[in-house]
Amino acid sequence: MYRGREGQWAFVLHRITGVALALYLLLHVFDIGLVMYGPKGPFNAFLAFYHQWPFRIGLVLVMAAVVYHGLNGLRIILMDFTSWGVRYQRSLWYGVLTLTTGIGIPILIKVVPEILAGKV
Amino acid sequence: MNVTFRIKRFDPEKDARPHWQEFKIEAGPMDRVLDVLNELKWEQDGSISYRRSCAHGICGSDAMVINGVNRLACKVLVKDLGNEIAVEPLRGLPVLKDLIVDMEPFFDAYKAVLPYFINDDPAPVAERYQSVEDRERFDATTKCILCAACTTSCPVFWTNGRYLGPAAIVNAHRFIFDSRDQGADQRLQTLNQVNGLWRCRTAYNCTEACPRGIPITQAIEEVKRELLWRRN
Repeated sequence: MYRGREGQWAFVLHRITGVALALYLLLHVFDIGLVMYGPKGPFNAFLAFYHQWPFRIGLVLVMAAVVYHGLNGLRIILMDFTSWGVRYQRSLWYGVLTLTTGIGIPILIKVVPEILAGKV
Repeated sequence: MNVTFRIKRFDPEKDARPHWQEFKIEAGPMDRVLDVLNELKWEQDGSISYRRSCAHGICGSDAMVINGVNRLACKVLVKDLGNEIAVEPLRGLPVLKDLIVDMEPFFDAYKAVLPYFINDDPAPVAERYQSVEDRERFDATTKCILCAACTTSCPVFWTNGRYLGPAAIVNAHRFIFDSRDQGADQRLQTLNQVNGLWRCRTAYNCTEACPRGIPITQAIEEVKRELLWRRN
């Protein structure tokens, strides 16, 4: 493993979340598309299937990925289009991580008790 | 200091794949990694192969992966690494033997950006005048020694060896922003191709690896913006 610093890990996380979100989006479009088969179609069965706890944890990860990928995208825009972005890239990345965590905590407070209670 | 020194060895005539070899050696804290390598080659195992020339951080021959990061062996002190030292050949270039890699793909990318002065105007009687401010514009990128530490630290280059890489872009920057030069359009055209400038994903490994302290990512971003604004 190459011992890169913040910039390398920002890039690796951005790529992983990007690929994961692209795959999720395909699945999401497929699922929502099942609506066209009407109320007796497979849509509701899939919906119930996805309410099992592994998928709900997956959904928390999807939300974390969206927030990280979006915020780091703003970091990249600042680096690409301002003269100072590159100089502050490390601080910007720590900002991205802090904001991702900050936005993630309320999501966890809302979702984790629901998962533990087995609510659908 | 008692140092455990590990080298990733590869002999194309004997080995199917590279393997680690461990040496025990007594080294001084102010010894450089290159001194330790020399000591091992001269006293313990003459078959250890690596490049070195000036041994003072100028020729750029002895770039290698030292404890997981790209460094010049002649610029890293043993005391800054501790008792465990591991050296490997640069990544992304074919290994010829032990720590020696084939630098040809690296120099091909370098040549592609026309890294020389282009100006077809007749030479003036005196020098081609350049103000201090104009010279300052590309000062950082004049410092490159072509050691390949930047290009071979780039995750994009590891997976796509056809990417021109940071070193080529740095040397393009050196002439693109030279007020006396007239070849910027040709260079930008090369950099605008599919394996050119836009492959940079700003992972900053190049900037961290450069033994000359060149702000490489900053230079790459400046060339990106130059290309973008010129197109409009």
